[in-house]
Amino acid sequence: MRVWQVAVVLNLTFAVGLGLGYAGWGRRADALDREFEAARAQVERLERERQACAAGGRAGEQQWDGRGVVRAIYPHLVVVTHEEIRGLLPARTTGFPAASPQLGDSVRVGDPVRFSLRGTLIDDAALVTIERW
Amino acid sequence: MRILLLTALSAHLASSVLVVGTFFMLLLAGPSRAPTARRWEGAMVVWGRLLLLVALGSGIVWLLVRTALFEGRAQAALEPRAVLHAVLDTWPGLIWLARHGILVILAAFLAIRSDLTERRDWIAARVEALALGALALALMSASSHAAAISPGTALTVAIDACHLLGTGVWLGGLVALGALLRAASRDADADDRAHAVITARRFSRVALVAMLALMGSGVLNALAQVENIAALVGTPHGRLLLAKVAVLVPILGLAAVNRRRLLPALPGPEAMRRLVAFVGVEAMLALVLLVLAAAMTLTTPARHAEPVWPLPVRLSLDTPLDGSATRWRALLASQLAVLGAVALIASFFSLRRRAPLLAGALALAAVAAAVGLPPFVVDAYPTTYRRPLRTYHATSIASGSAIYWGQCAACHHGTPADLRSASTSRRHAGELFWLVSHGRPERGMPAFENRLEEAQRWDVINFIRALGTAAGSKSLGAQVQLDGAWLIAPDFTISVGPLAPGALRDYRGRRMVLLVLYTLPGSRARISELARKYNLLSTLGVEIIAVPMQTSADAIRELGASPPVLFPVVTDGNAAIIATYGMFASGPHAELLIDRQGYVRAIWRDDTGEIQVQVERLNEEKSVPPFPDDHVH
Repeated sequence: MRVWQVAVVLNLTFAVGLGLGYAGWGRRADALDREFEAARAQVERLERERQACAAGGRAGEQQWDGRGVVRAIYPHLVVVTHEEIRGLLPARTTGFPAASPQLGDSVRVGDPVRFSLRGTLIDDAALVTIERW
Repeated sequence: MRILLLTALSAHLASSVLVVGTFFMLLLAGPSRAPTARRWEGAMVVWGRLLLLVALGSGIVWLLVRTALFEGRAQAALEPRAVLHAVLDTWPGLIWLARHGILVILAAFLAIRSDLTERRDWIAARVEALALGALALALMSASSHAAAISPGTALTVAIDACHLLGTGVWLGGLVALGALLRAASRDADADDRAHAVITARRFSRVALVAMLALMGSGVLNALAQVENIAALVGTPHGRLLLAKVAVLVPILGLAAVNRRRLLPALPGPEAMRRLVAFVGVEAMLALVLLVLAAAMTLTTPARHAEPVWPLPVRLSLDTPLDGSATRWRALLASQLAVLGAVALIASFFSLRRRAPLLAGALALAAVAAAVGLPPFVVDAYPTTYRRPLRTYHATSIASGSAIYWGQCAACHHGTPADLRSASTSRRHAGELFWLVSHGRPERGMPAFENRLEEAQRWDVINFIRALGTAAGSKSLGAQVQLDGAWLIAPDFTISVGPLAPGALRDYRGRRMVLLVLYTLPGSRARISELARKYNLLSTLGVEIIAVPMQTSADAIRELGASPPVLFPVVTDGNAAIIATYGMFASGPHAELLIDRQGYVRAIWRDDTGEIQVQVERLNEEKSVPPFPDDHVH
């Protein structure tokens, strides 16, 4: 084999090796990262659905738990400044519809509270429990 | 252990660089049928193989020593598991693996005994060796200091790779050229002198380009990794860089003599002998450069190290040009400097009078410096450029305030040594730190090094800075001055009940903040008004943060339920915020409008502020000031 042929084969091997390495390992690693994130989100979602189901929720509903400080109370709405609610909302002040009008009776404005929300997504998530922290 | 690491890295760097240069020179010289040239080529290939063995051996030693240092145990260097961990689980380890894989392939390629009589084979063999060597060398940048710079990592790595490849072409080529010239300078090998002379002239042109690329990439590297003069002269990394520049100066001198005097005189035997000697000296100095470069690789980059200023003085451009004498000096110096520049430019165009013109330019520059610089020279200390340990935060300022009023105010408040003076605000924070730590015995000021913790001393300095700006904050009123951002809003912690706390700086780049310092019941009407306008202000990009003058866990409840107050109300750490912002706006109720970048832009010292108008003015502002630094200067 001539030297120039060896050089060409060597360079081709490099190029093919890098290409195959990326195709077989680099892309796979990226895909695994994405799959892992999706699986984790799915596990968290299933856990929230299990909690909702155990608490008497309907099929497909999830339950989110959060901590916050009550800022305003209305018969059908409780406004809470809350920490991040994982899988639902970042830390901010949000008004949550109350599942029952009596829910706000147990707390007062300024109370630090733990609460649970139930629903299928943010638009229909309602406050189902709230208690002083 | 460190010396062993430096030795291994130096040997590895030098051999990797020389491999590139050797095969580059073979390609530059081209194939020759002259016996001397063929002997030189054979010797260079053997030299290349030897260099590869050194590169691989020193690379392995470098890895083992690095593993020992990484694990913190000398015996880890001989534990396969620890070594594999260092190779496979770290980025530098993976780069090491890739580089050494390439070097092994290159070694195998060079081990092939092949017939290179056909030109195509010869070129393929040399190009392949050069490409593999260059790839292995350039990959070093991927795990160098340049790879740790973010953002712009790809650019800094590319610049560093360019620097390494330039070194390879220039230094590696220099050694190979020295060997060729030496062989050709022997009387018995005079048959190849013409080939050697042509090669030397080709190399001279290439080396000029390589040197320009080296210096350009070196300057860019320095800008990225050193950043400023203090880091250059005050850190080990910066000083190593200065040492490199010092070694580079004689190299450039020798290169100029070679290019201007000796190359044109070739192939004269005397010129040939002197060129061999000069190239040898140049190559030796270049190897010193490589050792310095290896040492820089093992040193904390200057921009991450605390600089220790080595001089008793520094230049300060903040010095005011007070007094006619100072202004005259500055004027005279500037005119002399202009004359010097004219003389310098003229020297480039006049071949005959170049030397006297250059001497004149230098003399004028020296006189201009002697006349103009003294007013700008101020005292400096080893800590002049030290970065404060504590950020410019309300907690730090409040802590400094307590120390200041207890230990400093008696001598420094409302006296000739008042710390609110302009001369104090012109001093670097590091200089104040030195003065607080060591005192000024000649003026009766005691040293606080043993009386206050380091953090406490930085707290005092943060307070002094806030005190200095507080005097200026009186000029800030209810109207936002467009393009007038100067008063940095000290950061503070926003604690609402037992929730995870936030910080003022969380809003930077996102929203304006209206900081409301209030007292009940006086501020109740205003808080209710703000609560009603909250939606509108929020839509305009404003967050309201209310801080009662007195810390209270019930602060939210005390505001009442109607109208609902939905903006954050701080329930903990109020004292620090009030102590800090109270310096800018005292009274039972005050409001401060902080822009998106983190500067206080308007202050209302009562509860009548037309917030919306000023917020709209800020929204109309076109130029955006840079984010303020988290530390004082």
